[in-house]
Amino acid sequence: MDRITLKGVVPEIFASRDGISSDIWLREVSLERGKRYLVRAESGTGKSSLCSYIYGQRGDYRGTILFDNEDISRYDSNRWSGIRQKQISILFQELRLFGELTAFENVWIKNSITNFKSREEIFDLFEQLGIADKLDGRTDRLSYGQQQRVALIRALCQPFSFLLLDEPISHLDDKNSDVMRDVILREVVKQGAGMIATSIGKQMNIDYDLCLNL
Amino acid sequence: MPKSLSLIWKLLRKHISIFELAIFFVVNLIGMTVIIGGVQLYSDIKPVMSGENRLIGSDYLVVTRPVERVGSGGKRFTAEDIAELKSQEFIADVGAFTASEYEVYGSIMFGGRRLSTMLFFESVPDAFLDVRPREWEYNAGDDFIPIILPRNYLNLYNFGFSSTQQLPQITEDVIKRVELGISLRGNGLIEDYTGRVVGFSDRINTILVPEQFMVWTNARYGEGENEDATRLIIEVDNPTEPELVAYINANGYEIENKPAESSKAMQVVKVCIVIIVCIGVVFSLLSLIILTLSIYLLLQKNVSKLENLVLIGYTPARVALPYNLLTLILNISIWVISTTMVVVAQRLYIGYISQMVGCELPASPMVAICVGALFTAVIIAFNFYIINRKIREISRKR
Repeated sequence: MDRITLKGVVPEIFASRDGISSDIWLREVSLERGKRYLVRAESGTGKSSLCSYIYGQRGDYRGTILFDNEDISRYDSNRWSGIRQKQISILFQELRLFGELTAFENVWIKNSITNFKSREEIFDLFEQLGIADKLDGRTDRLSYGQQQRVALIRALCQPFSFLLLDEPISHLDDKNSDVMRDVILREVVKQGAGMIATSIGKQMNIDYDLCLNL
Repeated sequence: MPKSLSLIWKLLRKHISIFELAIFFVVNLIGMTVIIGGVQLYSDIKPVMSGENRLIGSDYLVVTRPVERVGSGGKRFTAEDIAELKSQEFIADVGAFTASEYEVYGSIMFGGRRLSTMLFFESVPDAFLDVRPREWEYNAGDDFIPIILPRNYLNLYNFGFSSTQQLPQITEDVIKRVELGISLRGNGLIEDYTGRVVGFSDRINTILVPEQFMVWTNARYGEGENEDATRLIIEVDNPTEPELVAYINANGYEIENKPAESSKAMQVVKVCIVIIVCIGVVFSLLSLIILTLSIYLLLQKNVSKLENLVLIGYTPARVALPYNLLTLILNISIWVISTTMVVVAQRLYIGYISQMVGCELPASPMVAICVGALFTAVIIAFNFYIINRKIREISRKR
């Protein structure tokens, strides 16, 4: 998959609103593999909605979203499962971790369907992100910032053409943000993938190819 | 794969209620056992009720015309009477009794003396017999005459006569070994034959000889005057059919072996078994409802986890797998246990019924196994449908 195209997309609840000024809503935007995008937004402008639409989680929008040239509104559950295993990975803003599983199990439950990384590679990511000591701790006992890093490792355990990051560093300090950025960039470069990050203020220190205001 | 399954299992088992599953298990086990036990019992006793040598009920009736006054002799059945009977839709077949039209003398050697008596013979077509002994065959001119006696003649002797006269009781086997001297007289001929009892009938109340023998001897010793039948035997689907009873009455016929009581007993047995099976079905339906509700509740409690699994790339089928496996294991265990119980029960009752009927019944549990498998398959399919539908509903995007 090389391109995500949004044509006249707008959330249904915004549709009746006048004077929407946005680089994305109601416009034609093409997001390409290999490039890095930053979507800047204020709260309530539909940043998470955008991620949900692209990830096939929600369909309450007007307009058309195309993967290459295919309209994604026609995909069924199995097709989406395939896309979520091989094409698009996401770091949810709300993380969506399983609290009763350990940090490692949360990653492994994903990796066991993709078989993308070895145990050692995963341990290594825990190490790099400074949470190696939390591997076997229950996830719901970790701080939000730690959980955010577990969710990131899980998001990296699959092949992807695009990586969606919904406020990836909202709960991290600058030092940890930089570590996270390095880990993400290494993986994105390795996979030759596109990256779409959202932010309501705090953003990763990267050379973005394009900044879009929502 | 096993690793991911065990992780999903760890994740999803949390809200599984052992109590609910135990109730489902017990109720369905009872239901399944009652259903397949009832069906198995029905199939085991069906041959006794409807086959040859049946225990209960009779689809064969003997029709006579009443004796009107002493010395007049019963009216006989003409060929037209028989044709009319045959044309009734509630009568499957009609067979005529043929009586011997000559004198029959029987004798046995007893304590060195020859005891002799007058006898009579009758015959019916072989299709109407409830027993078919090996020696039941006669070719014109043979010296040996096979004879079938009503079993109640022997009972009459054993339980009525011998006990009051201080005579020994006789078994069927002993009688079958006794040779009878048979002398036939008619048309100016007196000829001797050897007869022997080869079987006992519960259905037909007369001294029977093979039809071929009767045809040949009536031609040889009889006058050929009266070929009409003295009595008829009819095969009917339901001996208590009101139309049949009305028809018999309207024509002034009489039924010799009134089936009413035994036939009612058969109806009662059938109704009882239907009720038993219905109760089993109710139990199973109830358990199915319990399981369905339980699964729904379980899925509902886990809805956010299921949604997250789908969102990280699990297919709905894979998310459903642990639940499908759970119901599969439960239902197959129920099938195995209930079938085992029915097989054991069958071992116990089959001997009892065999004894009652007086013949060995085959104790094959195939019916229980097949019906159980069918029900289990239906229940599993239903469970799978419910689970997969619910998970698809969860995974569908909003």
